[in-house]
Amino acid sequence: MRNLIEFFLRYSSWMLFVAYMAAGCFMLFHSNPWQHHVMLTSANAVSAVVYKGASNLTAYFHLRDINEDLQRRNSALELEVINLKQQLERTRELVYADTMTTDSALQRYSFILARVINNTTHRTHNYITIDKGSADGIRPEMGVMDQNGVVGIVNVTGPHSARVISLLNNHLRLSCKVKGHDHVGSLVWDGTDPEEAILEELPRHAVFEIGDTIVTSGFSTVFPEGVPIGTIVKGLRDHDENFFALRVRLFTDFTTLGTVRIISDSMTDEIREVERDIIDKK
Amino acid sequence: MSKTTIKFIFLAIMLIAVQVVVFNHIALLGYAVGFIFIYTLLHLPLTLSANWTLTIGFFMGLAVDIFADTQGMNAIACTILAALRRPVVKLYFPREEDITDPCPSARSLGFPVFAKYAITLSAIYCLVIFLVESMSFFRPLSLMLRIASSTLLTFLLMIATDSLTSSHNEKRL
Repeated sequence: MRNLIEFFLRYSSWMLFVAYMAAGCFMLFHSNPWQHHVMLTSANAVSAVVYKGASNLTAYFHLRDINEDLQRRNSALELEVINLKQQLERTRELVYADTMTTDSALQRYSFILARVINNTTHRTHNYITIDKGSADGIRPEMGVMDQNGVVGIVNVTGPHSARVISLLNNHLRLSCKVKGHDHVGSLVWDGTDPEEAILEELPRHAVFEIGDTIVTSGFSTVFPEGVPIGTIVKGLRDHDENFFALRVRLFTDFTTLGTVRIISDSMTDEIREVERDIIDKK
Repeated sequence: MSKTTIKFIFLAIMLIAVQVVVFNHIALLGYAVGFIFIYTLLHLPLTLSANWTLTIGFFMGLAVDIFADTQGMNAIACTILAALRRPVVKLYFPREEDITDPCPSARSLGFPVFAKYAITLSAIYCLVIFLVESMSFFRPLSLMLRIASSTLLTFLLMIATDSLTSSHNEKRL
């Protein structure tokens, strides 16, 4: 017994070494739950405090890099937002066009959706620029409207953009009538108030009341019949005694134009053909 | 508790903290990792019993392991280091009774001997650590590079730490 103890004492350091090595190897190679005991991992309280303190300090060192990363990420996201917005706009246009063509009275017509990319209201001859052009099927003399009413008529088309003569342009005269009656007059802007225009040349025997709605007459291929324009504010005395003039408050808010619809008439060519034939025969 | 004990506890805590917070996160050129905390083991008095040296070594390694989530790796390496410390001193400095200060340092052993002592132990430590670490996938060239560069870095850290602690002692004296 004594020899045994002596043996242990003499070789205690060797035994301790073996014991520690065994413990280390046990930890290293033995994948039992004990290895993942919280006290022996960096998740314990002391490590957490030390690491938290250190990261409080070192977090500042990386601010520049983090900032750059964020900037990069931010710009990537911004780009994505722009892309998604465009996609959304396109989809919305498609949905919009689909829902709009259900009106049976407008079967002859189809809509092309476009976004207004330039617009003025303060000049006497105002024009609007849209982001669709001949490549999208837009041709001159197509009618343009938005969700409220008439906007103008396509004037010049480029491949991917087009200029629209705004209703707020006194080069534009639009054939229209009081809703429910067939007396036709012509609408023109007097160059003062972007919210109001004048309906001239309405026959004297036409019946109307203040507040009546003015719609397009449909006497052209530009606009189908019945597209709303505005409401009558008051009657004016025209320069010619045989006609009425009416002050009309426009439905369309020209200062906040966003998406507009271009009316495509499938019968335009046919009607033109017929009309040309008539002229030729004369 | 003697002054030396307190000094060593302080030294151990400081160096382990520095190791865990700073050096464990640095791999120079993707290879070289510095192990500064083993200076405590190198600096332990030669008069200290082997059992104590082994125990201190094991638990210091374990402390670093816990922080770095390398179960047992540093503990094994530190235990081996603690065991080989005295033979290495004897190898370079055969007349142990001539050493004035029992704690090995450049001042007590002289710089050339201490440098040899430090680089030998650094090499042993890095060899063990990286051999154990690379047991899962073995890439000889990368392993050699890591061992060599880490040994060099650890050796430089040993010299630096030694000069820092020595200058403190001189001021105190």
